[in-house]
Amino acid sequence: MTEGRGYKKLKSQTSLKDILEVATEFERTARDFYAALVPRVSKQIRYLVEELAEEEQRHFDLFSGLRARPDLEDMLQELVETPASDRRFSDCIHLPELGERPDDQEVLQYALGREHAAMEQYTSLAESTPAGPIRDLFKFLADEETQHKNELEKRYYEIVHSGGV
Amino acid sequence: MSVRDLLSPFTAWKHLFREPVSIKDPLDREASERYRGFHKNDIEKCIGCGTCEAICQNGAIDMLPVEGVDTIKTQPGDSGLRPRIDYGRCCWCALCVDVCMTGSLTMSNEYKWVESDPDKFRFTPGVDKKHWDDYKDGYHRPDGHRLNAPERIEMPELEPRERIDSFIEIVGGYSLEQAKLEADRCVTCGICVATCPTHMPIPDYIAAVRDGDYERGLKLLYESNPFSQVCGKVCTRKCESTCAASHEGDPIAIRWLKRHITEQVPYEKYRDIIGEPLPPTGKKIAIIGAGPAGMTAAFDLARKGHTVTVYEAQSHAGGMTRYGIPEYRLPYETIQRDIDLILSMGVGIHYNTRVGHDISMEKLQAENDAVVLTIGLSLGRSTRIPGSDHENVFKAVDLLRRITEGEDIQAPENLVVIGGGNVAMDIARSMARLQQQQYGEINVTLTALEDKAHFLADPVEIKESIEEEINILDSRGPQECVIDDQNNLIGLRTWKVLSIFDDQGRFAPSYDQDDEQLHPGAWVVEAIGQMSDVSLLGEELTEKLEWNRGRIQVDDAGHTSEPWLWAAGDCVKGPDVVSAVATGHKVAASIEAAFAQRETGA
Repeated sequence: MTEGRGYKKLKSQTSLKDILEVATEFERTARDFYAALVPRVSKQIRYLVEELAEEEQRHFDLFSGLRARPDLEDMLQELVETPASDRRFSDCIHLPELGERPDDQEVLQYALGREHAAMEQYTSLAESTPAGPIRDLFKFLADEETQHKNELEKRYYEIVHSGGV
Repeated sequence: MSVRDLLSPFTAWKHLFREPVSIKDPLDREASERYRGFHKNDIEKCIGCGTCEAICQNGAIDMLPVEGVDTIKTQPGDSGLRPRIDYGRCCWCALCVDVCMTGSLTMSNEYKWVESDPDKFRFTPGVDKKHWDDYKDGYHRPDGHRLNAPERIEMPELEPRERIDSFIEIVGGYSLEQAKLEADRCVTCGICVATCPTHMPIPDYIAAVRDGDYERGLKLLYESNPFSQVCGKVCTRKCESTCAASHEGDPIAIRWLKRHITEQVPYEKYRDIIGEPLPPTGKKIAIIGAGPAGMTAAFDLARKGHTVTVYEAQSHAGGMTRYGIPEYRLPYETIQRDIDLILSMGVGIHYNTRVGHDISMEKLQAENDAVVLTIGLSLGRSTRIPGSDHENVFKAVDLLRRITEGEDIQAPENLVVIGGGNVAMDIARSMARLQQQQYGEINVTLTALEDKAHFLADPVEIKESIEEEINILDSRGPQECVIDDQNNLIGLRTWKVLSIFDDQGRFAPSYDQDDEQLHPGAWVVEAIGQMSDVSLLGEELTEKLEWNRGRIQVDDAGHTSEPWLWAAGDCVKGPDVVSAVATGHKVAASIEAAFAQRETGA
């Protein structure tokens, strides 16, 4: 997963703008996935999927906002690798199948897996990128995904490992 | 007359040149080190138990709320009140200091206080700041000087070797003398009452033990808890966690005193002591689930004269108290006695009847004036780690249920339990008994994410598990149920847990992957958590109901978003017997209020 198709796509991006666009699209796809999942799960656990969609939306807004910052414009144009690749991005997302009526534990395990993959991917990209703004951006994205994963882990243990009578 | 007699009057003159013994200005005189002067109170240590007020022979102390101090508030274990002392009444006997349960009340050796306004001599030490608050000298209760015994009377119980090869009850119960000695330790402060979920009148029934009036005690118990015999044996005793005696000694053994009362009154007398239900009202209520919450609601509603019918999926009533708690902690006979008492109020019950399968929710709604959901947390959670779908990986609640049902279970020679709560201890100890019976030796390993200091299980359960040779390994995170080439389960692979909580106290385990262990076991039993089986609701009702983070949303009285439906017990409040009883009471009161409102409206 660390060096899967998503890794190659991101690695081939040539500017901060490209990378942020890919990351933003990644969040949008995840948000749309969770939004589409909402009606498929029991109302009992719908809150969980709605919260996941909201969290992806927050990331989407954050990355979009970053891209729009005027003080980042110079950096966004900075080329770090050539050649530029096509900007298709959907390949970087691998969404495993959830059953027809996933329960809360399945949804959380799926979300954790996704965040973990994203975290590892950005971390690996940061490690293989020379020092500079691009590496800083990968580190920032890895940190964001790590924080999200940590938050999900807490929720997972609170829901699943609830102790006994 | 001698010469000495003649001269002696003149010798007195020598005193003219000595310092005078009397003090010219006595207001500057310092009192002795242990002088009983003005009171001081460490308001952070004080819990407002009011024992000082109770013991004061002059009525000089009043317990009053304090305003303007953020740290003083009503909370579990603290009444939020603090003692105000009236120096127009105080005789400085220091009984209040001697009896103080936390040692917060002391006396300085200051004895001078000049005021023109006499009302100023009523003050709240520690809150109304005085210059003697920082005095080191004065009267403090001497070490070892106690008006009440600090140590609880030990409960007799079977030694491990006497109990390990059977499911015989471990705890023996207090004798009359032991119970009275233990009851004598209680200062009747009542701090515990607020902590008890169902607000049992604890000081009153302990007083009944002191008086030897057990019938009065029993009446008090059943006014607030129809599962008094059950709670006398397995209550989680939140009350004891806030007992005033626990600040400088052992908490009062409240649970064991409750048990003692139920053991002293002949069971044949219970029904007469509790009393008859009211005449029939014609109102009908269906209750789904015969656990403590459902049966408490049934008890209350039947006593009001309503027709109550309980629908129970299992062959016996009691819910998790019967199917989740092993017999060595809670004999089935004890549960049945409470159940029979509740049924004797005219409660009807259908066993082996699964709502949603044998009878529909729609039918219950149509045929009753109210429906109560008390479905508990009957489904076990799984870790879903690799290998956890193997046929020899079990959920603890399922195994405990099979043991209760009397199934002949062939225990494996070794097994691993995952979990650090009471259910984990229950299944580990139950399987240990089966192993002892079948192999003459015990080989049970229990692994938990938490370190021992943070186990969810009752400390007594942990202590007894260790006594029974359960191999408890804390701080181990399950990674895989390991299966060999022949598809045999051979054990559980774990990693060391480095830390379990984050800085906000939330569950966030981190692991040391280099510290990996394989715990041999032909079975792995998961006891990590439970959830409700809400499938009986059906899709339509599930959609109609409001939910709160995975649980059915109820108001403070247990009313769901549907006007005909209430919910109580573990499924809304989490796992705890006495909390289930409390929610059962609330639901019954809410239904009663709803009936009254409907009649007023009509």
